[in-house]
Amino acid sequence: MAVTVSIPTILRTHTGGEKSVEANGKTVLEVIDDIESRHGGLKARLVKEEKLHRFVNVYVNDEDVRFSGGLEAEVKDGDSLTILPAVAGG
Amino acid sequence: MARFESLLDTLGGTPLVGLPRLSPTHDVRLWAKLEDRNPTGSIKDRPALAMIEAAEREGTLRRGSTILEPTSGNTGIALAMAAKLKGYGLVCVMPENTSTERKQLLQAYGARIVFSPAAGGSNEAVRRAKELSEANPDWVMLYQYGNPANAEAHYRGTGPELLKDLPTLTHFVGGLGTTGTLVGVGRFLHEAKPDVQIIAAEPRYGELVYGLRNLDEGFVPELYDASVLNGRFSVGAYDALRRTRELLEHEGIFAGISTGAVLHAALAVAEKAAASGKPADVAFVVADAGWKYLSTGAYSGSLDEAAERLDGQLWA
Repeated sequence: MAVTVSIPTILRTHTGGEKSVEANGKTVLEVIDDIESRHGGLKARLVKEEKLHRFVNVYVNDEDVRFSGGLEAEVKDGDSLTILPAVAGG
Repeated sequence: MARFESLLDTLGGTPLVGLPRLSPTHDVRLWAKLEDRNPTGSIKDRPALAMIEAAEREGTLRRGSTILEPTSGNTGIALAMAAKLKGYGLVCVMPENTSTERKQLLQAYGARIVFSPAAGGSNEAVRRAKELSEANPDWVMLYQYGNPANAEAHYRGTGPELLKDLPTLTHFVGGLGTTGTLVGVGRFLHEAKPDVQIIAAEPRYGELVYGLRNLDEGFVPELYDASVLNGRFSVGAYDALRRTRELLEHEGIFAGISTGAVLHAALAVAEKAAASGKPADVAFVVADAGWKYLSTGAYSGSLDEAAERLDGQLWA
């Protein structure tokens, strides 16, 4: 088992068009690094100065990782990780 | 008090209703704040009126002025009513992928609608409104995403009402759009009762809405203050619809779809509290009723079909 990572349309150029990819890692950063090892370029779009890009939200099982440790947030086998651009509501 | 001088005076003071059937235990209780009981039927009456009154005090808004606002619907409808009663014009920039009822209501109130493209959702409406604002310097853009009067309305109104009606409040769950409700209520509660947890529920839309040209077109409202929040859930259409229907089925409350998303997060929080054996009083916001979403088919047929119909729509 691994982590299922859902990729937004705008970043699929880095995953050969794949909507979702499998990856391994114990933290959000390890998962991103694992994807980066196969799909170069993704990390630079998501991480700026060792932090999540201001306009990128990452959720582990639907919870925003910024409230559970950010890039160091824990990820377990079988979790789903969702990457989404920030959009307005209201 | 049941007598008011005008519709505008009926704002706020909304009921807080217990949900005995959906609450996990006798000690962990859910409470719904019925914001559909506002003058135009949504929580947005609060920030709309507050922003107008702030602009009147500052002198930027005068009789005959035209208000401009990017909105996915409820703020526009609230502004349209207040603008009509106060003698202002209103131009709303609204994404084209919103429910037909919202468009009809805005038109019924006499607002002019400028549609923004579906792809990119409200981000595009904000961008278009900023362009229109530059091209029409005499129009007054209230700008709910960055106007402090938005959060202030909840700091002064929604928050104190909640604490007065439920002094044992432990968690507050609200929808995250402009972020005004959560930032305003959150700031009030952090001062008045610092242990209260503030939880956000944001809609997770279909891919079309996130279809930006590049990541730097992403948008975080200027009002957003993450330090006020303790957690943030992203809830998809399927779960939002499922909870919206449960609220109607078990508690008789006919709410809009965004309320389902908020209830989904509230239940997660309540179940976590129940599992830890701690008593909890979890209050959440019913931002509007279901009337404006009937045409989307949210309340009938299978959940899968209903969720599919919402794909690409701005349902919150």
